[in-house]
Amino acid sequence: MDQETVRTICYLARLEIDQKKSSKIQKDLETIIELIGGLQTIDTSDIEPLYNPLEMTASTHEDIVNSDNEKEKFLKNAPASNEDYFLVPRVVE
Amino acid sequence: MSIQFKSIVELRGMLDEKLISASELTQETLQLATKYQELNCFVTMNKEVATKKASGIIPSDEISSWLEGMPLAQKDLFCTKGLRTTCSSKILADFIPPYTATAVEKLEDAGAITIGKTNMDEFAMGSSNETSFFGNVHNPWKKGYVPGGSSGGSAAAVAAGIVPAATGTDTGGSIRQPAAHCGITGLKPTYGRVSRWGMIAFASSLDQAGPLARTAEDCAILLNSMSGYDLKDTTSLNSDVPDFLANINQPIDGVKIGIIKEFNLGELDSEVQARFEESKRMYEKLGAQFVEVSLPNISASVPTYYSIAPAECSSNLSRFDGVRFGHRAENADDLNDLYIKSRSEGFGDEVKRRILIGTYALSAGYYDAYYKKAQQVRRLIKNDFDHVFQSVDILMTPTSPNTAFKFGSKGTQNPVELYLEDLFTISSNLAGLPAISIPHGQVNSLPAGLQLIGNFLKEDQLLNAAHLFQKNSDFHLSQPNLEDFS
Repeated sequence: MDQETVRTICYLARLEIDQKKSSKIQKDLETIIELIGGLQTIDTSDIEPLYNPLEMTASTHEDIVNSDNEKEKFLKNAPASNEDYFLVPRVVE
Repeated sequence: MSIQFKSIVELRGMLDEKLISASELTQETLQLATKYQELNCFVTMNKEVATKKASGIIPSDEISSWLEGMPLAQKDLFCTKGLRTTCSSKILADFIPPYTATAVEKLEDAGAITIGKTNMDEFAMGSSNETSFFGNVHNPWKKGYVPGGSSGGSAAAVAAGIVPAATGTDTGGSIRQPAAHCGITGLKPTYGRVSRWGMIAFASSLDQAGPLARTAEDCAILLNSMSGYDLKDTTSLNSDVPDFLANINQPIDGVKIGIIKEFNLGELDSEVQARFEESKRMYEKLGAQFVEVSLPNISASVPTYYSIAPAECSSNLSRFDGVRFGHRAENADDLNDLYIKSRSEGFGDEVKRRILIGTYALSAGYYDAYYKKAQQVRRLIKNDFDHVFQSVDILMTPTSPNTAFKFGSKGTQNPVELYLEDLFTISSNLAGLPAISIPHGQVNSLPAGLQLIGNFLKEDQLLNAAHLFQKNSDFHLSQPNLEDFS
């Protein structure tokens, strides 16, 4: 893992790394990737991945309006909002 | 009569015999929390609401529910309506949820009183509670030593006798390992047994809520209330919930307990081995039979977990964007800059490290090699468990290869060193199985934990075996000397 890869992953994850910590992070990531890389020695041909221990599809239910979804309550937690929307820096000039 | 170090069963007796009122119990609990605040167990107290709820509980001669008026602490990962919920992260330092997590709501509906929110590793990512934005929690058994993690504040609050029980969550050992390090009992239920709704997600296919308490009996009481199907959690199990308390006290004659060959227990510290052998003899005396079993892929649990958990974490934590809730950076140039600055300022180093690993594992070109590969190995690990549970009822391991360690002594140079601490606990999360940790003596004056892993939905067997152990031993009654903390 080189510095360029670390920069790319950081951008994908929308994270900025303190320059002073950059080489330590790079080394840590290399160590962890090396640990995970150990799995390559295990033969998994014809093995279906197990994405969830219950092996069930997420259950669905009727789409009924309930009292949990209150716009005002959720907007109140936003760092910046008006009466209807979350506010972000201007996107369209 | 002091309420410190009392179990739920004992406090229920005191309440029912009117030796203490619910109000007095809550006030004394809050006083203990203040007295031992140097432990740093709590991030936020719930004094006003707890006081008000307790004062509304009128003593009656009718039989109360076990938890009526019982003070509990909640891990600060459960959303609590109107009560700050931080996940021990700067990014949620001012977050006040508009709803309460199902698991907590069920306990409160049963009469429990939430006295505060407990400190933890940031977003539950850690095994030592050292990644919290709100500082380290001390192990009540030794100042300057970790309580384990990530539910370290919950474990320390119970071990210090402040509360009889607390909630925790377990993604790779985060209930069992701190329970072991603090000398208490902690249960991770079967995946899906307890609703995850309102739990701030770390790794959704591994996270599971459960109780930390002084005894297996008290864990059964909490689990009775916490369990059950929840429409709001799409992976909640719609299956019968037995009365866990009624099912303890069964004999274990002929119960088969497996010892996992691949864990090479002979390589552990000789004192850790000695405690394990003593516990094995205890179970033999109680009528259990031991057999050596092989789970050929279990040694791959740690790398499998550290591919899957960060991948799910990177996806789950993408919701923290500085827009809808949580910390928002000032002076962002544009929307992208707002995301980057808010997240970079809000997350700590370990969380960032795991997001980056997960992003890498899920990125184009690496997905098959890391993420899919790990999920395939996960299937092999689960198959191994399915196979051994055809011939044994329970698997037994130490909870952790070591006891609690000094602040800063592990994982600072090499994070993998700390990851390996999870060796014995991680596999049950990957397979979704229940597991319990009970105290079984000390190693170098610090508590050591014994882990029992059960088959799918067999919490009743684990609680029964743990309860029998505690009926025949007094390790769970040991109390730390708290002079250094008051």
